[in-house]
This record gives sequence, structure tokens and C-alpha cells, in this order.
Amino acid sequence: MKLQHYLGGLEGLGPVSVETRVFVEPWETRIFGIHTAMMALSSQLPLPATPSTFHTVWTWADLRKGAESLNPFDYFKFRYYEKWLGGICGYFIANGYITEEELEAKTREYYSDPGKPLPEAGSAAIDARIVQYLVEGDSPKRDVAFTHDFAVGDTVEIRNVPSVEHTRLPGFLRGHSGEVETVYPGAYTYLCDTGADGIGTPMPVYCVKFDPAALWPGNAEPNFTLYADLYAAYLAAPAEADVAAAA
Amino acid sequence: MDPRFNFPEDREARSAARARALEALLIEKGVITAGSVDTVLSFFETKMGPFNGAKIVARAWTDPAFKARLVADTPAAIAELDLPAGMAGAEGEHMRAVANGEGVHNLIICTLCSCYPWPVLGLPPYWYKDPTFRSRAAREPRAVLNEFGLAVPPDVEIKVWDSSAQIRWFVVPERPAGTDGLDEGQLAALVTPEAMMGVAVAKAA
Repeated sequence: MKLQHYLGGLEGLGPVSVETRVFVEPWETRIFGIHTAMMALSSQLPLPATPSTFHTVWTWADLRKGAESLNPFDYFKFRYYEKWLGGICGYFIANGYITEEELEAKTREYYSDPGKPLPEAGSAAIDARIVQYLVEGDSPKRDVAFTHDFAVGDTVEIRNVPSVEHTRLPGFLRGHSGEVETVYPGAYTYLCDTGADGIGTPMPVYCVKFDPAALWPGNAEPNFTLYADLYAAYLAAPAEADVAAAA
Repeated sequence: MDPRFNFPEDREARSAARARALEALLIEKGVITAGSVDTVLSFFETKMGPFNGAKIVARAWTDPAFKARLVADTPAAIAELDLPAGMAGAEGEHMRAVANGEGVHNLIICTLCSCYPWPVLGLPPYWYKDPTFRSRAAREPRAVLNEFGLAVPPDVEIKVWDSSAQIRWFVVPERPAGTDGLDEGQLAALVTPEAMMGVAVAKAA
């Protein structure tokens, strides 16, 4: 069990942040830009080839896997873009683009001389692809045959799928029942195959309505309703889930 | 920021140097260009941002039929407007708007990460990415909204939408009273990212 999968409902945390800025330090803008450029240049996208030497896959799933693999105390310790900086540096080192030693050496250079200019290089085709990605996006909707097993109003039970490195199932919903609020048209893939967790191949997605009083008996506020968008792999008909539990 | 943890005194200087070192190395090795990061940042300053969402909400306030279409088929309604290219682009491929109204207040959260509708709202503010917000809003939204200075009456139902799959959500807040004489541009100026995610309501200037 990873705490990062179970944040919803966690108690004892104190007041929320009401910080409305997107970035609180100038350096955060740079790591955001690097991440977005990586997503745009990622090798699985059907976009024009460029002279970029980036030849591997980088999606939100990779960034999220990094955050979900952290020690939970570190997850709370480090600010949002600090986690990005750590995860993205680690990715470039692990995939052989740079070495830890050269990153350390270069970091020392910029630490002692923060105003030192960046190198001047690069092909305009690379930046054109970045803009193309932002404009066109990367829809997970796929034109494949599929079946909707549930209809609006149906009761569904949330499966307790194996807990692996990455999931799109909020942990606090596992084992609970909800009611289908929306059946989204079409079938949707995910950015990666999550293995035993169950998503990745195109499948329906449902918006499911939950009663907070059932999620947190005696301990939820009144007069509110919680909805979550859930891939079909996370849902079972009530009887089916009971059979699985009894087996 | 959190006094519970020990951080080095030069915490930000270290991160700034490391981020700059990474960017420099990636440029040297031909992964990105010297202009790539600024290309991204400029796109979010001019093309994708909360200025688009504000225009969409202002139109919904002045045109009830548009508002109905916006809630029924969000991408199609947005495509009617004269907005920059990319309104169904990155992180906006599948968007869904929910409208506040009589007896209903909507709040958008993402308990697993920080899913956010980029084309219409740009990038998420820190409050939205805060693990404490993401945890508490799922169980005690009224207490959380109170901390933002928003008191939702007990008889108003709060609908909390957890963005865990393909949909990127936003809220159409209610038009504030006392704005009858305003045009769409003036109305758009009243719409904040916080109101479009449900931790605030729109207020007359």
C-alpha cells in the first residue's frame, strides 16, 4: 500500500495551503518547461521527427510513477516542483542522457555563478513540435470495439486490484460501492500499461457517484457527494465482486 | 515551507542551480533547444490560461443557451468561441464543465496528482497541488472551503469531482448580483481560477 494512492480522506493534516501562485520560485518554471518539452518530444507520439536526441518515452505516467515511488514522508516534505526536479533528473541519468557526475559539476558552476548564460543551440523544428503537441494534445480515446457493461444508475463495486507502482484508482474507493453517474462515450487507453492494476488497453470509463457517509462512516461532512472517473477495469457488478471475494 | 522538516538554508539556490544545470546539459546534448523552455512558458502566457476560461464563463453568464450546451457537450461549446488554437489540446482533450446553481456548489479535486484543464485554466495553482487539500477536500469540503474564506450554506449540496481518468473538469460559477450592466469583457474580469475550480465564487468588482 502506497500512501500516495490513499490521500483522499487522510486526517490530522492541519490547514490547507491557500497559495494561488502557480510557481513560487523562478526555477520552478524551468523544470515545468523541461517536463512539457519532454512530453512533446516523447517517442510514442505520432508527431513529425525532429533533430532532438530524445529517443525514449516520457509521459505523465512516468512523472507520477516517480512521485508514487517516493518515501511518503518525502512526498509531504518536498514541494511540488522539487519532486519534479528530482524525478526528471533521475530519469535523464537512468536513461543515459547525462551522468550524475556531469550534473553535479554543472550544478556547482551555476550555483557559484547563477547568472551564467545557457548554451545557445537547437533546431527550430524541435520547438515547433512542442507547440504542435500543446495545440493537438494526446487524446487517450481509441476507435476500437468495446462493450459498456454498466448503464447510468447501475450499482458498481470497486475492485481491490493488486497494488503496483502506478494506478489511477483512488485507494479510498477500493471495496466500496457507487452508482454510475455518466457513461463516457468511447474507449480510453492510458499512458502506460499498469500491469496487474489493469489499465492501458482501451476500455470504457465511467463517472461513479459515492456517498461519503459510506466511505467514512460517522466521519464525513453532511450534504456532499463525491464523484470519481474510473476505468472499467476498476469496476465490477456487485455479485461478481462478491464471488471474487468468496473465492 | 513546512517547519516539520529540516531543509538546507540554501534550499532554493541548490534547486535553481540544479534546474539550470539540467537545462544547460539538455541543450548541449541536443535534447531540447535554448528556446524550448521559453517556448512552453510563452504558450501558457498567451494561448493556454485562465483568460480563456474566464471568457467561456462570461459567455455562459450572458447566453443561457450557450451555458446549457457548455454543460451538455463542453468541447463542442468551447469550439464555438473565438479562442486560440489548442482548446482541445494538451490536458484539454476531454473536458467537462459543471455549473453551480440553486442548491449546488461544485468543487474539483485530484486526489492522485494534479489533473487540471490546461487550455481553459492554464497551470494549477499551489493550493490545488497541495497534498493536504487533496486529502481533506475528499472528506470535509466545507471545512476546506471555509479556510479559503468561502462559507457554503448547510442546505447547499457540495459535489466534489475527483479527476482520476481522462476528464479534465472545471466549474461554471454563478454570475454575481449587481453585474447587469457589464459586457462580456467586464464580466470575464470577475472570473478567477479559484472560482472555476470551486474554492471561491465570482464576486462583483
